Amino acid sequence: MNWDDDSIHRWLEPLAGREGDLAEVFGETLTETCLEWRDGELREARVRREQGTSARWRRGGSEQFASVAGSDDAAVREAVRALRTSAGRDPLPIRSSRSAPAGEVEIGFPSADRAARRLSAIFARHAPRHAFTLRLLETERRVVSAGRESSSATRRLLSLEGRFTAASRAGDEERPFAFHSPMSDAALDELKTALAAAATPRDRAVPVPQGEADAILAGGSAAVLFHEILAHPLEADAGVSPLRCLPDARVAVSDLEVVDDARRLDLFGGYERDDEGTAPRPVKLVASGLVGSRLTDRAHAPASGSTGHGRRSGPAEPPLPRSSNVVVSAGSTDQEEMLRRLGNGIWIEEFLGGSVEIASGTFRLRFPRARRVRRGRFADELGAGVLAGELLPALEAIEPALGREVHACRSLGWCARAGQVVPVGGAAPDLLIRRLGVRPQL
Amino acid sequence: MTGDDLEALLGQRAPGQWELYRKSAETREVDASGAFQRWAWRREEGWAARWWEAGAPRFAAASGPDALALAVPEAARIAVAAERPPDWPSKTAALAGEPTVEPPPALFEDLSRAVAAASRGEAALAGLRLRRGRAEERIVNAAGLDVTQEQRLLDGVALCVARRPGRAREVRVPFRWNAEPEIETLARRLSDAATLPLSDRPAPFSSGQWLLDPAVGASLLGALAPLWLDDKPPRWLVREKMAGPVVGVADDASCDAAFDGEGVATRRMLLVEDGALVGRLHDLSSAKRAGGLSTGHGVRPSFRMPPLLGPRRLFFETKSPSAPAVLLSAITKGLFASALTAPPRVDLAADRYEIEFTGVSIVAGRAQGPVAGARARGRVSELLRRIAGLSTDLQFFPSPFLVGSPTVYIERVSFE
Repeated sequence: MNWDDDSIHRWLEPLAGREGDLAEVFGETLTETCLEWRDGELREARVRREQGTSARWRRGGSEQFASVAGSDDAAVREAVRALRTSAGRDPLPIRSSRSAPAGEVEIGFPSADRAARRLSAIFARHAPRHAFTLRLLETERRVVSAGRESSSATRRLLSLEGRFTAASRAGDEERPFAFHSPMSDAALDELKTALAAAATPRDRAVPVPQGEADAILAGGSAAVLFHEILAHPLEADAGVSPLRCLPDARVAVSDLEVVDDARRLDLFGGYERDDEGTAPRPVKLVASGLVGSRLTDRAHAPASGSTGHGRRSGPAEPPLPRSSNVVVSAGSTDQEEMLRRLGNGIWIEEFLGGSVEIASGTFRLRFPRARRVRRGRFADELGAGVLAGELLPALEAIEPALGREVHACRSLGWCARAGQVVPVGGAAPDLLIRRLGVRPQL
Repeated sequence: MTGDDLEALLGQRAPGQWELYRKSAETREVDASGAFQRWAWRREEGWAARWWEAGAPRFAAASGPDALALAVPEAARIAVAAERPPDWPSKTAALAGEPTVEPPPALFEDLSRAVAAASRGEAALAGLRLRRGRAEERIVNAAGLDVTQEQRLLDGVALCVARRPGRAREVRVPFRWNAEPEIETLARRLSDAATLPLSDRPAPFSSGQWLLDPAVGASLLGALAPLWLDDKPPRWLVREKMAGPVVGVADDASCDAAFDGEGVATRRMLLVEDGALVGRLHDLSSAKRAGGLSTGHGVRPSFRMPPLLGPRRLFFETKSPSAPAVLLSAITKGLFASALTAPPRVDLAADRYEIEFTGVSIVAGRAQGPVAGARARGRVSELLRRIAGLSTDLQFFPSPFLVGSPTVYIERVSFE
């Protein structure tokens, strides 16, 4: 995006004359390659190239927002013109459109066909019967704000979702699989390992018993729990939640440290600049068991400034304070000790999704399968189910037994809120939690 | 690069086997809460090309013609499996309307008052996003198709929070209005969905009759939509006795748009008549596989995706409707499902469903009290056959395609 930042600053400055005013232009260039496999055949390849620009002006409790297709000079002028008109300012003079020559917007995925060949081989070996959708995304985002330096950031992401048929000891079994990671050659190696592990033969699953159960959330899956029960309620524009009334209160064991860290570029939700151009800083959601800080964007920031969590799904949407990567610090307990402490309960390694209702603090996490633990030893395979509970009792029910190793949670990928979907990630050690509601699901 | 240039480019790559889609849209939106208001204006432009090259389907989309010209060769570079191209429709039609889009009305205050009144002060409107828009689509293809059509919408999302000491409930309700705002109906939906779960009472019966609010009936019908899309119907399905004899299901989007996303003329499709399965939906690709004709159900939720087979305006209908009060009075012991508390889960292959809802218990046609949360579960085949009544109060809901349902009366349902 070859913008004339000085001109844009000049257009925006009159809109940001008062303390707390916010005026900015945001642009995005996106290339997405989407590949669909079914049973060893690449059935569909889709390529998407989009450019978009938006302008935003916020003063007090009101905001004007304009978005247009394209990210060239003409698009910037059109968005700013719409904003200035609605703000009662002189619109910018209309200049003839200066479309970027085709070559200028070339970013693309030269490696998409190579990734397709490599993945075809991986699927053929580990999961020959499957239906997978792969998305390779590359975004370049640029922000020019009144009174601030301009910023640009680029991200490349790989997202694979689908189902495959795996062998179980009592016959074939369909299993879901999701893997979300920043794009790199190492990511494909990690994906291969994860798929091979997911495809290992297992015993036939029995239905999850309904009732209350103690659980170990293993394989980084605890990040999904904290994404729902900590990160969402602490997003600065969230409604009144049970956490909102408890600043600095002790809500969990002192061993628990949970941070939202967008700087972790090895995780799916990482970035160098947020979508308002702010460099992110890690935010403690729970520090030594005490409720931490809120995740803020510029519109909801205190005097200390935004924490760099202003995020948007694209240029057609205004930024909202959103979580990025939820990272839980390691403890010192090994797996054997975790199982011994659990005694009887369930072992969950993956969640397919989750939700939280902010006002009541109730949450649900869907898992595709689990493992029963009896007297500290692995027992039956369990089928799909739902783990449910309430925010504060769940935090209180976390045992001071956190695993030694922190695992990246690659099944955590896309988070939807207020109609906007953004990439999120997480990493966590194994975690033991008591008395959660559990029931089977179709 | 212009549209004509793109047609020439596609014509060179895939002689006789291409389609070019263009969408221009403008929307105005008001997003209001108690202390904040956002006015948004959006101009969207989208281009999409679909073509068969070397026997295989390709798709590329972009926000402008230059970017699409770059995306086309990139999509062609990846080797995909061969598939027979569809039989492309050919027709010309130009339907252009008034290009202006007025801002949506400011309804936050009115809806706030209506929600407070409907809930007797227990619930409060926390946010309202209202959007009015216009989209113009043009589809051309190698067979000579050239159609242009316009669509308009007025839709939104409302957020409502209800509180009692020690308990709270938050609901988000999407809605779509055909013409005039229907504030009272929306307020009642918000109030019921937010306040009924606060009652703390579980389902008092383990089985009984089940009366579904139109919103719940629509969610159920939406979850059953694959029955009319899949190439192979599930094994349990008996065509002649798919549902109760009062049940009819149709899809008719002719009041929304003259053509589908592939340029095929919209028409009414009868899918279930007197409880028997009588039809299914096709887009160009599925029609080719089945050796038939498209029914006009190639859907483009966005220019970013190729057209997909899907319902467009699916709804229950009946030849013998009853008034809602008549259906209510027919209940001897049962539950009225006012709102869902989780998305319905339906496994058509396994013939299972599970629906979590909140509502009111009913004995001898009279409301007994709220039910905070209940779950109905069982076989889809039995549920459909036990539908014994459909009402006159048909309403449509976005889900994400439009689904319509009146109040639905079902016999012998198991509750938890």
